[in-house]
Amino acid sequence: MIELLFSALVLASMYGLVAIGISLTWSSIGMLNLAQGFVFTAGGYGAYEFVQWMGKHQHIHTGNVLMVGVVLVGMLTAALAGLFVGLLAFLPLHDRVNFPVRGLIATLAISVIGTQLFIILFGPQNKPLPQLFGIKRFHIGTHGIAYGQLGTIVVAALVMGIVTFWMRTSRRGLQMRAMMMNPIGANMVGVSVRTTGMVTLAISGALSGLASVMLAQTFFVSPRSGVSPLTVGLIISLAGGLGSLPGTVAASVLLGLAEAATARYTKQSLVPFVQFGLVIAILAFRPRGLGGVLEDVRE
Amino acid sequence: MCVSRVSIGRRRLIPHWPVRTESLFRRVRVPFTKRPLLRFEGRYNPKTLKRELILRDKKPLFWTLGLFVLLVLPVAIGQERVFSIFGIICFYAAVNVFWTLIIGTAGLQSFASMATVGVGAYGATYLSISRHIHWPLMLVIGTFFGALLGFIISIPARRLDGMYYALLTLGLSEFIRSYITQDKALGGQFNGALFGADRIVSEDATHTLAGQSLNYFAAFAVLLGSLAVFRVVTGGRIGILLRTAQSSREDESFAQAIGVDFQRIRMFVFLIASAALGFVGAFYSAYTGGTSLNLFSLDQLLLLLAMIVIGGLGKAEGAVIGTVIVVFITQWFTAWGPWRIVFVGVMMLASVLYTRNGLFGLRQQVIEIRERRKALARSSRTTRYGAFLPEEGPEIRDKANISEREFERHIRDELREWISPEIIEEHRLAPTGQHSDHLERILNYFRKQPISNKYVVYCEESFKSYRVVALSGQPGVPPRLVDDKIYTSLDEAYHAVFLRRINDLKSQH
Repeated sequence: MIELLFSALVLASMYGLVAIGISLTWSSIGMLNLAQGFVFTAGGYGAYEFVQWMGKHQHIHTGNVLMVGVVLVGMLTAALAGLFVGLLAFLPLHDRVNFPVRGLIATLAISVIGTQLFIILFGPQNKPLPQLFGIKRFHIGTHGIAYGQLGTIVVAALVMGIVTFWMRTSRRGLQMRAMMMNPIGANMVGVSVRTTGMVTLAISGALSGLASVMLAQTFFVSPRSGVSPLTVGLIISLAGGLGSLPGTVAASVLLGLAEAATARYTKQSLVPFVQFGLVIAILAFRPRGLGGVLEDVRE
Repeated sequence: MCVSRVSIGRRRLIPHWPVRTESLFRRVRVPFTKRPLLRFEGRYNPKTLKRELILRDKKPLFWTLGLFVLLVLPVAIGQERVFSIFGIICFYAAVNVFWTLIIGTAGLQSFASMATVGVGAYGATYLSISRHIHWPLMLVIGTFFGALLGFIISIPARRLDGMYYALLTLGLSEFIRSYITQDKALGGQFNGALFGADRIVSEDATHTLAGQSLNYFAAFAVLLGSLAVFRVVTGGRIGILLRTAQSSREDESFAQAIGVDFQRIRMFVFLIASAALGFVGAFYSAYTGGTSLNLFSLDQLLLLLAMIVIGGLGKAEGAVIGTVIVVFITQWFTAWGPWRIVFVGVMMLASVLYTRNGLFGLRQQVIEIRERRKALARSSRTTRYGAFLPEEGPEIRDKANISEREFERHIRDELREWISPEIIEEHRLAPTGQHSDHLERILNYFRKQPISNKYVVYCEESFKSYRVVALSGQPGVPPRLVDDKIYTSLDEAYHAVFLRRINDLKSQH
């Protein structure tokens, strides 16, 4: 039972990180960032390149430096990728007609280009990342929990907490929240759409970079590794209510739990159906998701 | 002095034919309808006043030509690779046309089109392998599966709008894909490849020219069918009703207010398109003898999106041309490797960044840009001349007025250049009598001006006091005094009038 809970929480933290990024972007700048999968993969490859570089420079190699470095480099690369997406899709389009649809298509195009560029640069093979938290396990009663799982949950929760705190207290966070509530009003009182948008994209990029590094513990980094987190992230941000952080976290825990339980008690192949059914059920009762903050704001 | 020709409107660009009035004009109609094959319009040429026919809609000609080329080209070339590329073009074009029906006509942002195709293909293939059914039945089954999936995913469409629905369907198509990779019966162990279904043209025949042609004609027939369905749905009553509810929330409310149940019609169109997509999927498996997970991959969906985005969202011609371009790039230049997909991606990005609606929106965009340029030029012209503004053109009934005003403006421009201190001095010395050529012409111009607001000399007392007044130009309305200056001689008064007119000429542009 505890194992189930832990694997559910690991999934939930992965999904949550990606979904929060998507949710933040959509609600504050009104762009559905489907290049989040590209950003995710970019973070993974950044971390991979860093590990390769560390391997060549053994003299500065210590375990902790590597661990912190991999996470930071992954987040940084993904943040840069997020800024790149903003530069290409958000800045030129945000004041044009039909921005939501065109932004969506532009980010999709970026993700097409990005995937192929990763294939060209790194080849289609999977690339491994080192186990950041070691491969040991500890025991609660009779259940063995891997350090990796615990580390993932703790780091993800920590980062999400920091982001939530930052959103609540900092001036930039205030601006972002103002944009979520009423973009036109925020613009009128002097919040820059462009700067705030770029910051939002960088932050959501960094979050998915973290998720990418964490997920590469169990899976590998590959050119298409962003697809599955992207779709699940999209579905979760939808179920959680676009723009609501607590709603997104709740939805990711719910879906993580559903996935872990389905995989454990029934067949793995039923997971998509259970997840999808859950989301449909949530949306049937709350069409704006669990958080449901954006009733009539964005239109 | 050169007067530039002012051409108004685009009438001279419309193709027209002379009509011989003695012979009857027979209109050919589409069978069983009142629709003419080509939309001719008879009229009198406004200039020559002769009867002529003009073609209002050139699209049918382009469609016929394009489809004819699409049909004949691979048969003429006769290579196996060309046949396969054109077959793929027909298949994806059919999918894109139905997708356009969903996105453009029904206004539902569904990304589940490839999922519907895939479900139709997998359902038909699975039943064909396990129950040994033949291809005509496969097509029926595919249609049924497509309609079933369409019905299921149309349920949330009522409550979700726009982007939310896009997200949901995108997720759904990924979920179905991951289900198939894990299900053993659907070829999970071969990474989703499921082959061995009944084929329209048997495996051996596909290596002969006749077999390939037959196979290709079948694919082409599917494309034609998709275009026909598109035409019937958008061109008929349903299309009109849906256009009322298109594009915005306000339109939807408006449609509801005038009694259009757009939700029901939308669902109807969505179901039709989904069933058709299932049919196309089943056709694909009967065409290739099976199906693979390629249909479902996100990359494939994105390529499809690239096709309709490059061609122009919401238009059948955009869907077909975009498909031709993208499939040609991805299938012909296979040596480029991943770079060709990058190229398609860049095209997609460019078309979304720089065009409003892809290739087929480009014309409208160019026209608008040109109109904007013209308007700018016009507004800058106002400050310079002001005699005739081209935008007044349609409002002036007698077009001779336009040239008259242009002519007057040119005369004024010319006269203005002649005004000099010498001329004024000449007039001051001798307001009447013989003058130099330039002064005489200026005076003649002044004399010719209309009577209203014309300056004249008013004699208060002969040989003692004269004043300058302006005529009202209306009978019964007395002239008004221009100023309170009193001139003691007639010549002085003449000159004062002259100076005033010169002044007006200078300020009038």
